[in-house]
Amino acid sequence: MSSAHHRPGTRLRRALPALVVTAVLALAGCNANPTSSSSASASSQPVRKGGTLTIYSQSSQIDFDPAKSQGLAITSLGLVHRRLTTWDIEPGQEPKVVPDLATDTGRPSDGGRTWTYTLKKGLTFSNGAPITSADIAYGVERSFAPELSGGLAYHKTLLVGGTDYRGPYTGQKLASVETPDDATIVFHLTVPYGDWPWIASMPAFAPVPKSADTDPSTYGKTPVTSGPYEVASNDQGTKAVLKRNPHWGDDDVRGGGPDEIDLLLGQDASVAAQQLISDQGAARSGFGANQVPAAQLAQIDGNPAAKSRLAVSNPGALEYLAMNTRRPALSKPAVRQAIEYAIDKQAFLLAQGGDLAGSVATTLITPGIPGRQQYDLYPASPSGDVAKATSMLAAAGGSKLSLKLVTANDDASTASAEAIAQSLQRVGITISIVPQDENTYADTITGDAGDYDLTVSSWQPDFPSANGNISPLFATSQIGGGNYNLSRYSNPKVDALIAQATGSVDQAAAQKLWAEADRTIMADAPVVPLIYAKNAFLRGSAVANFDVSGFPNYPNYLRVFVNS
Amino acid sequence: MSGVELLARRSRPRPTTASGVAVVTYVARRVAVTAGVLLIIATLTFIVFHLLPTDVSLASCGKPCTSDRREAVRHFYGYDRSPLLQLWEFLKGIVVGRTFGDGGAAVHCSAPCFGYSFRLGEPVLSLIVDRFGVTASIALGAFVLWTFAGVGAGVVAALRRGTWIDRTALAGTVVGVSTPTYLVALVAILVFGFQLNVLPVGTYVPLTQNPLLWAWHLVLPWAVLAFTSAAVYTRLARSQMLDAMSEDFVRTARAKGVRERRVVVRHGLRNALLPIVTIAGLDLGGLLGGAVITERIFSMQGLGALLIDAVGNLDLPVILGVTLFAAGLIVVANLVVDVLYAVLDPRIRSKGTS
Repeated sequence: MSSAHHRPGTRLRRALPALVVTAVLALAGCNANPTSSSSASASSQPVRKGGTLTIYSQSSQIDFDPAKSQGLAITSLGLVHRRLTTWDIEPGQEPKVVPDLATDTGRPSDGGRTWTYTLKKGLTFSNGAPITSADIAYGVERSFAPELSGGLAYHKTLLVGGTDYRGPYTGQKLASVETPDDATIVFHLTVPYGDWPWIASMPAFAPVPKSADTDPSTYGKTPVTSGPYEVASNDQGTKAVLKRNPHWGDDDVRGGGPDEIDLLLGQDASVAAQQLISDQGAARSGFGANQVPAAQLAQIDGNPAAKSRLAVSNPGALEYLAMNTRRPALSKPAVRQAIEYAIDKQAFLLAQGGDLAGSVATTLITPGIPGRQQYDLYPASPSGDVAKATSMLAAAGGSKLSLKLVTANDDASTASAEAIAQSLQRVGITISIVPQDENTYADTITGDAGDYDLTVSSWQPDFPSANGNISPLFATSQIGGGNYNLSRYSNPKVDALIAQATGSVDQAAAQKLWAEADRTIMADAPVVPLIYAKNAFLRGSAVANFDVSGFPNYPNYLRVFVNS
Repeated sequence: MSGVELLARRSRPRPTTASGVAVVTYVARRVAVTAGVLLIIATLTFIVFHLLPTDVSLASCGKPCTSDRREAVRHFYGYDRSPLLQLWEFLKGIVVGRTFGDGGAAVHCSAPCFGYSFRLGEPVLSLIVDRFGVTASIALGAFVLWTFAGVGAGVVAALRRGTWIDRTALAGTVVGVSTPTYLVALVAILVFGFQLNVLPVGTYVPLTQNPLLWAWHLVLPWAVLAFTSAAVYTRLARSQMLDAMSEDFVRTARAKGVRERRVVVRHGLRNALLPIVTIAGLDLGGLLGGAVITERIFSMQGLGALLIDAVGNLDLPVILGVTLFAAGLIVVANLVVDVLYAVLDPRIRSKGTS
């Protein structure tokens, strides 16, 4: 479905002219058979200060309001807002949660139900005012306001009283967020939660001074900031300009390289990629915030100069086939297990663009996530095992199945759906593909009714813990209601494992439990893992420290700099 | 109308006061009809939006989402009320303004309020005003270019009928009419932007910021739109010119010894222009409502891009506002063309009021 920082609907916007654009610009391209290239840059270089960095973005607007954001800690929002904790993303290393405004990543007590943070000394906002624990608490509180909805919301059900809280604008405070003094903040949770340090890295944990929040609905245009930059101007449809925040300091994670960062908004992805390929003017010191479209990837493959500037990630986000376990035809695990063998993952990968698009998947926890164990419960060639699947289906009484596969109606999604349909036809399953527009599709798969048998979706965790892979997709609480348990899978044993792993403050112990949950779920076969997708991004020749290799497979804006 | 009538009319006395009143009545009636049409469009947009099998609150609920929170969002946006009530609130807002929410986060949208986009944090009207500059810059420049180039080519083709000029112009129109805008735009970007590298490939520079850069960035979109739109005008101007130039009054004028240049402009072109004015008015009205493909490919965020974005994000206030505005432009363009006609041509006026 949606990746970590794309909301539903992104695909639709991309779909319209982007597809024709790619088709035509391909005329100018050369090689149609790209091969995989690993261009993970060498480890992080010291950041050079100066210059103007240009970022080409497809979004027509950027809202820097932390309450409304689903942004990753290492992209645009991370340039302007610091949080209690943040992500340390280095090439070739597992992602780490590190202190940001706080002195550590949080001190648990009460078995992981209470988390306490102390702020670093001498921190100030871009307006010169000191950053206090009250500013963090206010930022968290305002994320509960219905008028500022839309952001990452993991904390909203975890904080005591969060379910009924409606934000500070009605004069109410959230009692479970305490600020005993200016430097201390304490969070009280409904359950023990070992991944709270990751939650405290989310946008809502950025400080917002109450005195500056006079017009909440427009606060995000030019907010008061704590990061290396402040927002000098922000014109939706044109561009946002970030300039240095003179009060920024005591930050181990952000490089603060460029003097100025221009976010060009509403840029067509293909035309932007073409500009970056040509490497002239502003594009020399720029990069694309969106993945390079397939046609330009092919073009780049035949252009050594451009290819050296292409950053391809390691396999990451999971693309999977969800089987609706609440439908009679798919309620038997034996039928679903047969389908595990029936799917031709190789054909699916080809439909996505081949090796450059990803690699074949067998597990639920994705590569790059700490504690992941590689295994395959349904070993077969990447093209599947038709004979085995057929006999298993017959034994399970699942011959002559007729299933409804619902999909978004853009070209890429339809191609995925067709690859799945062809796989299943090999074992005598009849598939009817139901294409829907992006918004309707989102409603169909995440709504309460669940009127579908199969759907292909993709998932990138919002934070680099196996928790982010497993809970949103397989917990009983995440069925319907706008959530992403698309196979509507419910297993008390798995729910118990999730609760146990979630509650474990000991990360090593938690990782073991997550790995166990991974296998337990796969034994029930509610989904077929298809591929781990790769992302490719292009930079201009003057841009350095541009890395997308590991999780989250997006450029780390925080340490990018411009060479003179 | 024949040229003889046209010549005869020119010698008539000016319209009397009575027919002046008739014009006022005519215009008043058309304005009333226009308001009615816009009301119907607003109602239809509301109905279509509420018939969608999609929950609008999903897009802004956050991740992960709970049903409680979704209800709160629906309530805040007012989507939990009946569509009819929402329509009434919308219409009321145009007259007296609206306030969303209460307490410290209340958002006031002063009259005339055409809704408020919480996604973009701006009243819809100011969004439209903002984006209209981009669309109008694209539309007006292209419009001027294609009417002059199109009509000019048509007139020349008609006067040089059967020659290579005529055939080239006709062939050009076939290409222009049959090539999709996006293809022309992309080829133009590739050739002029990347291969020759002589023109910028996108990004809008406001006129107020730098008029030269404004025009420089718009050259490609203007040329592309003009190329694909001029064809119709060339064809129309050519056939109208051919008709006009074969009329009796042209022969009469020539026989009287009027200079050829004057014959072409005063007698031929003047007559040929009337139907062209109609089409040009409607085309301009439509284009001002958003040049979706051109805006997208040239990375210029005008009304078309605003609308597409809003549809993708289920931003109802923006969808409604832009739809109404675009529809309004077409209706107004229609009105202007009709009124111009009525003023220019007494026969239409008398038919319209009798």
